[in-house]
Order: sequence, then structure tokens, then C-alpha cells
Amino acid sequence: MNKDDLRIIIENQESDFSYQKSKSHLNITFNRISFIFFAFFIVFLIYSIHLIHLGSREVKIFDSKNINQITNKLYRADIVDRNQKYLVKTINSIDIGISPSKIIEEKKLLFNLRYIFPDKDYKEVKNRIKKGKFFYFEKKVSEENYEKLMKLGDKSIEPRDNLIRIYPQKNLFSHIIGQIDDDNNGISGLEKSLDDELKNSQVSIELTVDKDIQYLIRSELVRFNDIFNTKGSAAILMDVRNGEILSLISLPDFDPNKRAQITDKNFINRVTKGVYEFGSVFKTFTLAAAFDENIIEPLTELTDLPKSLTCAGFPIREYDNKIPSNLTAEQILIRSGNIGSVRIGQKVGEEKFQLFLSKIGVLDKIDFDIEEVGKPIEFNWGKCPLATASFGHGITTTLLQLAKAYSIIVNGGYNIHPKLIKNNDLKKREKILNDDVSKKILPILRKIVTTKEGTASLANVKGYEIGGKTGTAQKSIAGNYSKKKINSFVSVFPTSEPKFVLALMLDEPKTNKDYIYHYRDGSNMKYKGTPFNTAGWTAVEVVGQIIEKIGPILATKYSEVY
Amino acid sequence: MKKISIIFLILFLILFTALIKNSTKRINDEIFSAEENIRSLKKDFETIKLEHDYLSSADKLLEFQRLYFDDELVQKNIQNFKIILENNDNLKIKKFSFINE
Repeated sequence: MNKDDLRIIIENQESDFSYQKSKSHLNITFNRISFIFFAFFIVFLIYSIHLIHLGSREVKIFDSKNINQITNKLYRADIVDRNQKYLVKTINSIDIGISPSKIIEEKKLLFNLRYIFPDKDYKEVKNRIKKGKFFYFEKKVSEENYEKLMKLGDKSIEPRDNLIRIYPQKNLFSHIIGQIDDDNNGISGLEKSLDDELKNSQVSIELTVDKDIQYLIRSELVRFNDIFNTKGSAAILMDVRNGEILSLISLPDFDPNKRAQITDKNFINRVTKGVYEFGSVFKTFTLAAAFDENIIEPLTELTDLPKSLTCAGFPIREYDNKIPSNLTAEQILIRSGNIGSVRIGQKVGEEKFQLFLSKIGVLDKIDFDIEEVGKPIEFNWGKCPLATASFGHGITTTLLQLAKAYSIIVNGGYNIHPKLIKNNDLKKREKILNDDVSKKILPILRKIVTTKEGTASLANVKGYEIGGKTGTAQKSIAGNYSKKKINSFVSVFPTSEPKFVLALMLDEPKTNKDYIYHYRDGSNMKYKGTPFNTAGWTAVEVVGQIIEKIGPILATKYSEVY
Repeated sequence: MKKISIIFLILFLILFTALIKNSTKRINDEIFSAEENIRSLKKDFETIKLEHDYLSSADKLLEFQRLYFDDELVQKNIQNFKIILENNDNLKIKKFSFINE
């Protein structure tokens, strides 16, 4: 081997040394894998982000659906009675408007519209198009016509959502449900007090009322309004155990479907808003207060009762001059004695009687489910006012509060809150009266209906054990007592285990010479003509007729029968 | 080997994600379609119920009675009512408890 050859070998060796380069080449290959990995990672990341985005978007869509439905001003929940029957139903409708500025070809548009709505006055439509302002072409279009209109694809045709509130029971629940205005805001009744809830609730709102019972009571009230030629009347049926109102009627009433503006004061809600002197129905409170304070017993005798008293220059007389001078406490209530009630009231005392009336919720404004609630006129207590309040003179309240007070007195002395909205909250009942009050008062209320001396024998419907107290009061007009009367009867049944209170009032009833009374004392006697326009001949008869009609429903649907 | 398994894992995840996405979309469509059907059925039900409530209201029933069953429908005495009690597939008929003073 020569020198040159040797050099070549060295070069080769140098070339071998360049093996390092090929190692570097391997490094480059590894980086490519990293790059691919990175690329896949990015793709994976993008997909993951997309997946997360999709997931989160689903939730957003769900939320926005709810929000849309809740905040949509064109939504209003339905109202049903205790048996899930519709009292108010909302139906969404579509109104079709035309925007003249968006019309491309007027002739074509009118031709198409004439095809769908041939009966329209198209001269008028043309005039309105000429004016250039948006106008409603057709309101409450059917789905079929809506589809036809949309198929035209004309941008000048603009559908607008609308809401129709239907009251399928017409007048039946007008004073409870109330009305809404053109902007779908409640203006009276539950429509007003539940306005926000109705706009937001996803489910129907259930009331405590029963539409069949409501119908039967209303039809009897309407009938007797004609018979006794009353100015108006009202009735409330309440469950004494929980304050649930099964029926609340005030006449005259109105049809909320007509959306008429009611300004006549005679359309007042006589159950909740009307504040009246009810007269003798207050005597039950006087006796109950005495029982609550353990001042007297039902058979405690009150002797030497005068025929009249004078208080602050005004005479207090007995309604019936045949009332004996010696009477037991229960006889005073049965015979509706004024002087005897004054004597019991005086025994109770001003402070205790006032406290008792406050406890049973008669004196103050009641907190109720609808806003149309009357405030009893403030009563200035004193010696004479105590005497007059003892027999229900000069003291005012609402029929709703009267029903509540009687419920408390007969349900064992438990406080209740009258309610129209059904809820199943089982709050512990608060006992506010002694046990004895109900036990002592119920047999007396029953005797008012069953005995000859009692004033309510026309309500003695067989099988329902009705008890109650009548009240006939002179109407106060402009601060003076008139000859016009308010007749009332608060009934409780069955008295052996009270479940319901039915309070009824007739505003200015008159006598009717043709009406035939069927006595309910077992004699089968009939009597033609109303002798007096007092509660015993008017309100009691109406209650008797009502309970005869609603009794079977209450007995079969709402009573525990075994 | 580790790297290959990571790559396969990534590929699997991507494929899995794509599959899930597809199936989710399909389920979503089905849910949407079911919801729309329910909405439509609910609307029909409510309309029919409204009609039923109106036609079966006391007012209407009395009108129908006057029109079609003038003398055929009579008021039943509550004392003739009986209660059917169901207990372990046994039917028991009980008389209505009536207050007799």
C-alpha cells in the first residue's frame, strides 16, 4: 500500500466519523413523530373543546327555553278548581298584520289574500296599505290559514303572537278570578293578586273551589234574588277544619270573557269587600266569649231581664215582646234576645269581649288571597258600644270574616285562615279558644234550627244536622239607619261533627206574597207568602234550599263516610 | 412501544369522541322530536279537556237534560246511595252512613 492509498483510507475513516451526522438524522425522525403527536393532540383538543362546547350549549338551550317561557309576556298559567276542571284557560293565537313598506307587488299580495280570506273588505285593505302604516289584517287566524299565509312567503305579512284568556265557566267565578286588561295584566281578583305567579308558573294553579257546588249555590241565589227582589246577595261555603273555601259567590256578577269595564258599585264583592252590620249573628260571639272565659254555662239563668234599656239616650228593645223575663243563656241565643245578650256582654266585659272578637278575626282587615278586601269600620268601645255590640248593632265586618269566626267557634277553637288557593302545607293548628266553646255552642246552634222558639226552622233539612244563627240588621245609609235590611244566616253542618260553614246574606230583601214555604218540622204544612222580610223568612229559606241541593255532593265527595 | 400505544389511545379517543358526538346528535334529534310530539299532544289534550269541561259543566248538563232526557233523569235519594269498597280484590258494598237524630 502506497502513501496515497493510506490517505484514502483516512478519508474513509473520516467518512465513518461522519456517522454522527446520520445519528442527527435519526433525531429529526423522532421530532417528526412528536410533531404528528402534537398535531393529533391539537385535533383531539379541538374535538374535546367542541364536545365540551356542545355539552354546555345543550344546557344553555334548555335554560333559554325555560327563560323564554317564563319571561314571555304572552304566557299566563291556567287556573283549575279542586277537581282539575278549567276555570281559566289560556290559548295562544296569531294575529296577522301587514307592513305596507315591505310590499313588493301589491296586486299579487291582494290577489293571494283574497284567495285565503274571500270575505274581507279589500277596499278598506287597499286604503290602509296606501296610508303606509302597519295594520292588523286579521286577528286570531286559524292554523290552516296561518300556514297558507306563510306559504305565500311575502315579507310584508307579519304574524304577531297573541294571548286569549278564556273563562269557560262564564259568570260563575267572576268575583274570585277577576279580570285582566288588554296588556294581559291582572286588574282584579286572583288575576291581580297572582299576576306574577300566573306569568311565571309552569303548572296550572289549583283553587279550593268546586265548580259544581258553586253552580248550585249560585243558581239558588239567582232564583231567590228574583223571589225576594234583592239588590244583591252573597254566600260563602268554607271547610271549618282548614279554611278552604269551596264556594264564594257575590251577586250581581259579570262575565269576564266580555272584558267589560265595571264601574257600578253594586258589582262589589259582597263576601270580601262589602262591610256590613249583620245584627244578631254577633250574639253567638257574645255567648261564645262568655263560654271561653268560663263566665256562664248554657243553662245559667239570667233573671229579671227588662223589655227595654236606654243607653246614651237610645232605647234597646227586644225584637219579640213575648220573650220571657227569665231566660237561660242558651234560650237567649235561641230566641235571639237583645237584652239578654247585652247582659251577657256586660258580664264578659269590654276588654275581654274586644279581645275575643280580635282573636276570631272579626274586627280587623283580613289577609286574603284576593286584594278586594273590606276593612271593618273602626269601633269605638265604651259602655254603650259594648251593649250594642253584644247583640250585633253598630259593629261591622265582612261575610268572609263572619264565616271564619263561626268556623273557629265550631271547630274546637282552632285558628284558621280562609283560602282560595289549594296548598297542602300541613301547619300545626293553633288553638285559640277553650275546648268547651264548641261543645257548648253547637247544641244551641242546632236548637235554633230544630226548636219552635228558634228562628231558623226553615233550614232544618233532614239528614244534615244543620245549626246556625240568623241576623236581621237595618241598613245604615249616610250614617242613619234606614228601613232597608241586611238579612243573614250563618249555618254550620253537621253539628255533631262540624265540617262546613255556609254563610249567606241578602241585601235589601223584600216580601213575596206568592212564594210558598214548605215547613221542615215534619208537619208537611205549606205557607203562602213571606210575612216579614227578616232573615228567618228569607236567608234561612235560601240556605235550606241550597243545602238540600249541595248536601248530597258534600256527603259523597267531601265527607269521610266510613 | 409506549409512544405507539399513546398514539393509538389518542386515535381511539378521537374516534370515540366522534362516535359519541354522532350518537348524541341522533339522541338529541329523537328527544327534540319526542318533545315536539308531546307538546302537540299536550295542546290537543288541553283543548279537548277544555271542550269536555265546558260540555260537562252543570249548566250544559242541565240544558242537555231538558233537551234529550226530559223525564228520564230523576233525582236520587241520598239514602239509596251505597259505597263500594275494594279490599284485596274483594268488593264490599256498604250503606251510606246517614245522620239520624
